[in-house]
Amino acid sequence: MTFPNLLLSSGANGEPWWIAIVKAFIVINLVLVTFAYLTLAERKIMGRMQLRYGPNRAGPYGLLQPIADLVKLIRKESFFPAAAIDVLYIFAPFLAAFTALCTFSVIPYGPGWEINGYQINGYVADLPIALLLIFAIGSLGIYGFILGGWASDSKYALLGSMRTCAQLVSYEVALALSVLGVVMMSRSLSLVDIVQAQADSTWYILPQFVGFVVFLVAGTAETARAPFDLPEAEQELVAGYHTEYGGMRFGLFSMSEYINLITLSALCVTLFIGGWHGPWFPGPIWFVIKLFVLLFLFIWVRTTMPRLRYDQLMRFGWKVLLPVATLNAVITATLVVAI
Amino acid sequence: MGNVLVWVIWILAALACVGSGVAVISFTNPFYSALALIGNLASLAVLFLLASAEFVAAAQILVYAGAVMVMFLFVIAYLGGRADAPFAGGPQWLQLGSFVSGAAIMIAVIVALVTKANDGLSSSADISRSFGSPAEIGRLFLTDHLLAFEITSIVLLVAAVGGVVLALKTEAESEAESEAS
Repeated sequence: MTFPNLLLSSGANGEPWWIAIVKAFIVINLVLVTFAYLTLAERKIMGRMQLRYGPNRAGPYGLLQPIADLVKLIRKESFFPAAAIDVLYIFAPFLAAFTALCTFSVIPYGPGWEINGYQINGYVADLPIALLLIFAIGSLGIYGFILGGWASDSKYALLGSMRTCAQLVSYEVALALSVLGVVMMSRSLSLVDIVQAQADSTWYILPQFVGFVVFLVAGTAETARAPFDLPEAEQELVAGYHTEYGGMRFGLFSMSEYINLITLSALCVTLFIGGWHGPWFPGPIWFVIKLFVLLFLFIWVRTTMPRLRYDQLMRFGWKVLLPVATLNAVITATLVVAI
Repeated sequence: MGNVLVWVIWILAALACVGSGVAVISFTNPFYSALALIGNLASLAVLFLLASAEFVAAAQILVYAGAVMVMFLFVIAYLGGRADAPFAGGPQWLQLGSFVSGAAIMIAVIVALVTKANDGLSSSADISRSFGSPAEIGRLFLTDHLLAFEITSIVLLVAAVGGVVLALKTEAESEAESEAS
């Protein structure tokens, strides 16, 4: 459905427009809750893997820890450095958080239902360019990090944002190339169609295993997580582009990083692991199970792998990951045409 | 109601486009100019969306607003966004010339619009569903516009090779560097 039609019609596939708005509201809040408890899960799992308890004071099993963190961040004084450029300094975290939240709108999470005669689709928006949209919005999200680092007027923040920017731009190429195989096999850029194509044939993790691995590695770098967390290397840079940030402005940056991770995992589920398809359980439950498995994998990798050196990171991205992704795309293209 | 919404979005995007375009050339700090250019490209993408060209809109954001402008900001931030003095004005005839040529382009655009508006620019409703879709654009690239497409790819390849050649140090340069250190 083209964009002007989307505005003109009452909604996609006979769904009333207000249901789409309610769904968008629910999905955003679910993503936010997942983010909050992902931080707790990460600290708990990392704690256990490092033979310690992790947070266990706020509420039973530390379950209220994210709430406590939120209250703390909101109530902190929101200062900024005297030399900072205030408009950009305040705007940057909003940009990062907005672009992170936007991208979840095109991820399908269910087959669609009919309740009380109302059609309810299993996605917020189905666009023919959904995959491109995710990459496009993701590339705009980088500006939040650059602006934040530059507007802080601090050398650590600037160096951190330069690193973030160089790393994200480098690995974005490999990430985009790694999904090309999936696009060619399903012959569509719409995520709803890609999930359907996997239900009709097989999950693309099997024929596109190389693409899957490249996607995971490039995705780890894209979300700046260990072992690719160079932009935030404490020993060298204090904290990276958000060195001068505090309170909820820092919270928004941190939130956007975690939500980018969630979106990336959801995208991986959609592209390679069959989306919401699975036996016995309804679609959304399968979607959430697969999502949590991938998120656990990311946390696991973070506790296991030491950080790379900067030149190793760049060399790996351009000289290993990019050729592998390109080769995978070329071979897939040949096979798709041949078969 | 939906039609009004299209108009509202069009007017907002068009205003943002012109406003950010003016901002690009009026900021003295190159960092702000680059930011305004990003805004300009993004509002252009919205106009593309309204013209049912989703793929072009996404490519516009992804390639220009995303990748190319990041490089601009990267360089400006590294070199330090020093404010340059705004254009103080050259000789009198230069200002007059720029004004006249700007007005000439404006008149050409208006004449083209007025003469073509009756047939060429009519917004017919018979745009097919596949118009502007990735598949349709790919088909056009590989059939009707194959030559232009291939020539563009060669130009891009030449540019990439040229970039590598420019970045390579000649033997004399690297020798001089090792002696200096």
